[in-house]
Amino acid sequence: MVNIATLVKLSLNLNLLKIESDGRVNTADTQLAISEYDKNAIEEAIRIKEKHGGKIVCVSALTWGPVNKKISDAERILREVLALGVDEAHFIIDDVLDNCTPLETSLALASLIRKLGNFDLFIAGESSMDISNSQIPARIASILDIPFVTYVRKVEISGNNLILQREMPNGIETVEVPMPAVISVTGEINQPRLPTLRQILQSKNKPLMKYTLKDLGINLNAKLMKQRIEIRPVVRKNIIYEGGNLEEIAQKLVDNLIQEGVIKA
Amino acid sequence: MKRNILVFSEDPRVINEAVYIANILKGNEGKIFGVSKLTEDNDVLSNFDEIHFAKENLIPEQWAKFLIKFYKENEIQYLVSPHTVNNNDIIAYVSAKYNLPMISNATSIKDNDATLIFSRQVLGGRGISYIEVEKSLKLSVTVPIKVYPRIKLDKQSLIKEITEIEKTKITSKGFEEIKKSGFNIENADVVVGIGRGFKSKEDIKLAQDLAEVLNGVIGCSRPIAADYGWLPNDLWIGISSKIIRPKLYIAVGISGAPQHVSGIMDSKIIVAINKDKNATIFKYADYGVVADLYQFLPIFTRKIKENLKK
Ligand SMILES: Cc1cc2nc3c(=O)[nH]c(=O)nc-3n(C[C@H](O)[C@H](O)[C@H](O)COP(=O)(O)OP(=O)(O)OC[C@H]3O[C@@H](n4cnc5c(N)ncnc54)[C@H](O)[C@@H]3O)c2cc1C
Ligand SMILES: Nc1ncnc2c1ncn2[C@@H]1O[C@H](COP(=O)(O)O)[C@@H](O)[C@H]1O
Repeated sequence: MVNIATLVKLSLNLNLLKIESDGRVNTADTQLAISEYDKNAIEEAIRIKEKHGGKIVCVSALTWGPVNKKISDAERILREVLALGVDEAHFIIDDVLDNCTPLETSLALASLIRKLGNFDLFIAGESSMDISNSQIPARIASILDIPFVTYVRKVEISGNNLILQREMPNGIETVEVPMPAVISVTGEINQPRLPTLRQILQSKNKPLMKYTLKDLGINLNAKLMKQRIEIRPVVRKNIIYEGGNLEEIAQKLVDNLIQEGVIKA
Repeated sequence: MKRNILVFSEDPRVINEAVYIANILKGNEGKIFGVSKLTEDNDVLSNFDEIHFAKENLIPEQWAKFLIKFYKENEIQYLVSPHTVNNNDIIAYVSAKYNLPMISNATSIKDNDATLIFSRQVLGGRGISYIEVEKSLKLSVTVPIKVYPRIKLDKQSLIKEITEIEKTKITSKGFEEIKKSGFNIENADVVVGIGRGFKSKEDIKLAQDLAEVLNGVIGCSRPIAADYGWLPNDLWIGISSKIIRPKLYIAVGISGAPQHVSGIMDSKIIVAINKDKNATIFKYADYGVVADLYQFLPIFTRKIKENLKK
C-alpha cells in the first residue's frame, strides 16, 4: 500500500489569458486550468495505486483570486481530477493567497498535508505552466524534512524504496530513496488517460474539501512581494504566403531572406 | 549597508554566471562567499572573499544541508545561484528552512533606490513578471546562464574544503550520459527547428538538408527530443532547455506553443512553415509559408542552392 498525495496547481489558462490594453495580464478575470504536467503526476499516482494499492488524495492551494470569481472554475477542475481516479481532493481557498509567492503557497500546502495525516509519497509536476518556479516540490520536502527527487521520468517501487530515473540535461541519473519522499515528474513520464463516463459520474460523490488559512490554523503575510505580469510585445513582420505555386513562394522567400541579410547570395 | 552574499553552484563551471548579480546586491561592505565543487579555474578562485569546495559529488539534499548551516553562521542576506535544475532545487530547499522568498530565473535586476525590481519569464514565456522587493528583505535568486555579463573581481580568496558532509537517505545508482549532437545551437547563425509536423525520424533529413545549404544547424521542439528521442536533448529549444538568438530561425512543423517560442524570441528573423494557417507560430514569424513541409522543404532547399550559385 502506498498512500499518495498529488500536488495539483490550478494554473492560469494560457489559452484564455485576459490582457488589458496596456499589456497587463488581468489574472482576476482569467480562467483556470490544471497545470499541464500535474496531469502526469496524477497519472503516475494512479499507476502506482493500480499496482500497489493505497489511496490518492489531491492537495491544491488556489493562488489566483479573488476566491469568489474563481471558486466555481476551481471546483470544476478538481471534479475532473477526481474523475481521473483520485480518491479525495482537498484545497485551500483564501484571498490572502491571491498572487502569492511560492513561500506562502508551500507553507499553506504543508499545513494542509500535516492536517491530512501520513503519506508515503508526494508527487508534483516538474514545473507549473504559468509561473514555472520549480520551487514547490523542494520547499515541501524541506518543510516536512523528507528527501526530494525532481524531474523523475521513471518510478519503480521495491519494498519501501523508490527507484527513480531522473531526466537531467546531460543524461539520466538513477537514485534510490526510502519513502516518505517528494518527487516531481516530467511531462514525458507517461501518457495521461482520459476519464470514463462512469468515472465522471462517480466523481460527483467523492470528497472535495475546502479550507481557509484560518481552518488550517495559520496566519500568512503574503504582502512581501507582488508580481505584475505583462505580455511580452511581439513585433514581427507577419508576411504570410498562402496558396499558389510553391516554386514561386520559395523564390520570394529566398529573396526576402537575402534582403534581410540573413542569407548570402 | 553590509550585505553578505552566498553564491552557490553545484557545478563550478557556471558559478561565475552569478557573480555579476552578487556584486550588485552586495552593497559597499558585504562579503561574497562561494560554495561549489572543487575546481582549478583561476577565474573562479579569484571571484570570492571565501570559497568553500566539496571534493566529491554531493546529492542535492547534502548541498542544501551544508548551505543551511553556512547561511546561519555567516549572516547571509542574499543567496544567489546560476539556474540549473539542481541549483534551483537546492536553493528552494534552503529558502524554505529560513522562510525566504525566492526568485527563480531572474532575467533582469534593476536597482530602484530602496527597492530592487526583478523580472522573469512567465506564462510559458509569453509574459514577463516584474517583482519589486524592499532591499532590506532577505531573499534568494537564481539567474539564467549566459544572460548577465561575466565579471572578474580579482580577490585573494580564502579557500576552504568542505569536510562535514551530512548524511542523506538518497543513494545514487549511476549516471548514464546521453549522447550529444556535437552542435552548438546557441552560437549558430542559422537554426532550422523541427517539430511534430515531421512524421518519422528519417524525415528529419529534409530539415538537415536545408540547414546544410544555409550553413546552419538543426534544433527541435521538446517532444522531438524528450518524448520521441529522435534528437539529443541539447538540440531542444524552449523555456525548459535552450534559449537561442540566431540571425535566422526557421520553424518547421512547429505549432508555436509559448514554451517553445520563448526560446526563439530574440532571433533576428523568424520563418515559419506549417500546413495549418491558424498555427500560432505565424504570429511570431516575420515570414510564413502555409504549406505541407514535405512538399515545400525540398523546393525551398533547392531554390536556396540555385540562388547561392548565381
Ligand atoms: C512546463 C512546460 C515546459 C515546456 N517546455 C518546452 C520547451 O522547452 N520547448 C518546447 O518546444 N516545448 C515545451 N513544452 C511543450 C509545449 O507546450 C508544446 O507541447 C510543444 O512545443 C509542441 O511541440 P510541436 O510544436 O513540435 O508539436 P505540435 O504542437 O503537435 O505541433 C505540430 C505542428 O506541425 C504542423 N504540421 C503537421 N503536419 C505538418 C506538415 N506535413 N507540414 C507542415 N506542418 C505540419 C501542425 O499544424 C502543428 O502546428 C513545455 C510545456 C510545458 C507545460
Ligand atoms: N498552488 C499549488 N497547489 C498545489 N500544488 C502546487 C501549487 N503550485 C505548485 N504546485 C506543485 O508544484 C509543482 C511545481 O510548481 P512551481 O514550483 O510553481 O513550478 C507543480 O507542478 C505542482 O505539482
